Amino acid sequence: MTDAENAPDRAAAGPRRRAVLLTGLVGAGAGVATGAGAALARGREAPPADDRLQRARASARAFRGEHQAGILEAPPPHASFVALDLREDADRDAVRRLLTVWTDDVERLMAGRGPLTDLEPELAAVPASLTVTVGVGPRVVALAGAEKPSWLAPLPAFPEIDRLEDAWSGGDLLLQVCADSPTTVSHAQRRLTAAVADLATVRWVQRGFREPFEGPGLPMRNLLGQVDGTVQPDVTGLDAGLLWVGDDGPAWLRGGSSVVVRRIGMRLDAWDRADRLSRENAIGRRLDTGAPVTGGRVDTAADLEAKDELGFHVVDDAAHLRRAHATAPHERFLRRPYSYDDGTGAETRAGLVFVAFQADPVRQLVPVQRRLAELDLLNLWTVPVGSAVFAVLPGARPGEVLGEAMFA
Amino acid sequence: MHHTLPATRRVALVAAVAALTLAAGACGSSESPAADASPTGAALVVDDGWVKAVDETASPSASSSLEMDMSSPSPSASGMDGMDGMDMSMPMSAMFGTLRNTTDEDITIEGGSTPAAEMVELHETVKNASGEMQMQPKQGGFVVPAGGTYVLKPGGDHVMLMGLTGALRNGAEVSVTLRTSAGEFALTVPVRAFSGAEETYEPSPSS
Repeated sequence: MTDAENAPDRAAAGPRRRAVLLTGLVGAGAGVATGAGAALARGREAPPADDRLQRARASARAFRGEHQAGILEAPPPHASFVALDLREDADRDAVRRLLTVWTDDVERLMAGRGPLTDLEPELAAVPASLTVTVGVGPRVVALAGAEKPSWLAPLPAFPEIDRLEDAWSGGDLLLQVCADSPTTVSHAQRRLTAAVADLATVRWVQRGFREPFEGPGLPMRNLLGQVDGTVQPDVTGLDAGLLWVGDDGPAWLRGGSSVVVRRIGMRLDAWDRADRLSRENAIGRRLDTGAPVTGGRVDTAADLEAKDELGFHVVDDAAHLRRAHATAPHERFLRRPYSYDDGTGAETRAGLVFVAFQADPVRQLVPVQRRLAELDLLNLWTVPVGSAVFAVLPGARPGEVLGEAMFA
Repeated sequence: MHHTLPATRRVALVAAVAALTLAAGACGSSESPAADASPTGAALVVDDGWVKAVDETASPSASSSLEMDMSSPSPSASGMDGMDGMDMSMPMSAMFGTLRNTTDEDITIEGGSTPAAEMVELHETVKNASGEMQMQPKQGGFVVPAGGTYVLKPGGDHVMLMGLTGALRNGAEVSVTLRTSAGEFALTVPVRAFSGAEETYEPSPSS
């Protein structure tokens, strides 16, 4: 076995792993070419090739850059959110070593290569649009000796609605793992947690899914059937300042962001007993198109002042849409939610992993959350059971380790 | 402080530098002529190299049964002063990766040294008479063919670091100098946690 592995092979100048990948690609390409040639020879058009595998292999996202990946991209259908706690004796050096390991491992995984210690790199060979986004909690920032952003703390309590459980809240570190393939997500999550098992332990895992065929004509729907996450700030344009930490934040975090992950349980059995009119009234949007109940399309602004013939607001005074509506331009954030369904049959356990990115959650998100806690018809059917806030590290530029500036 | 990471994990094996003189001296090996110091022009490079992390407080359970036949000729055994008195119950680790020869001549890895361990050996993993896989020194060393590669991996050939001088911490880096037919090559490889490679060492198939 060993001898065969290292049999003299003067042609093999490249690393074995890359050589294997290249062979696979060339083989696939040759197969397509042969098929096309045969069809042409018969004077007929070739049947459309199933190019899903080639596309999945070619789907590697860029890891290096000003910002981390996994924020601006359209969310792929599979995700896992993993919070970890540093071990009790963790020090500054341990934090830096952990981020060194993750930087290398994430870069390899996103490129479709296994991490250095991966004995099953075949599971990493199809990147499937994989992105891994790393967040840190206040303890990491403190250990690194960096300035803590004022907002890096648990959200204020919302006693009217919160039923938070430790099992779904807090954490020193966050991994957001997203991909088109659940196998890719599972493998990346497994390798990244095992790679630092001597430094950090997993606190909670929240797996989520979205509509695989999402896109124009098929919007994201949560498990209440609502079109969700449709109205977003223009974070690649005028509203970029709502997403990325700028000059007014700690220097080490510029180009970074914050992420709020809240686990919102849904009382689907109770929801089942509400008729469609009641559901649309609770939301303030039509269920079919997602348009406001005052008309238009999904991206039409709601007419909050419109009244019916009896003088009542068309958008109910307690409708989710009205209560969530930004009362100031800064009360907006980038939502990237995923559904979850961990039901057992005996018990309905489903809901939404609410995920929001913003430069400052206290300024942008908390006012909205406070209004919803005070009054929102949807609260009849939703229960927050988990909540966590992390600073999203800036991107790693070439040669950098994630979070490097924390140690400056 | 230095905690940047190479854009690609392609570490050039450059000639032994001042920082490694101590290690080289401790092992009694003489300084070899410098190889090409340019990473792109290095005669020997390692791709995806890494060393298994070892906690200094955790001695491998198998280590108590370690026995070594010091009289057996082994490429790495020559010139290792002070080896006879070594406590073989000390923890050990191993280096893996793909050695790549960029020259037109075969390069034989004959041994090595590192500040991280008292001794470096070149090991292969073979099946013994009872069908079990076991490690033993590789006779003749590792021959990296001209223009070719040589794979070091868990369960296969590897560079053994014996008698660690301290912890090998996950996410840190370690310097290893390889002694070869083409001179000495110093490299720096990352340390990674790895739950495999719980190596047991047996010096001879007959034991």
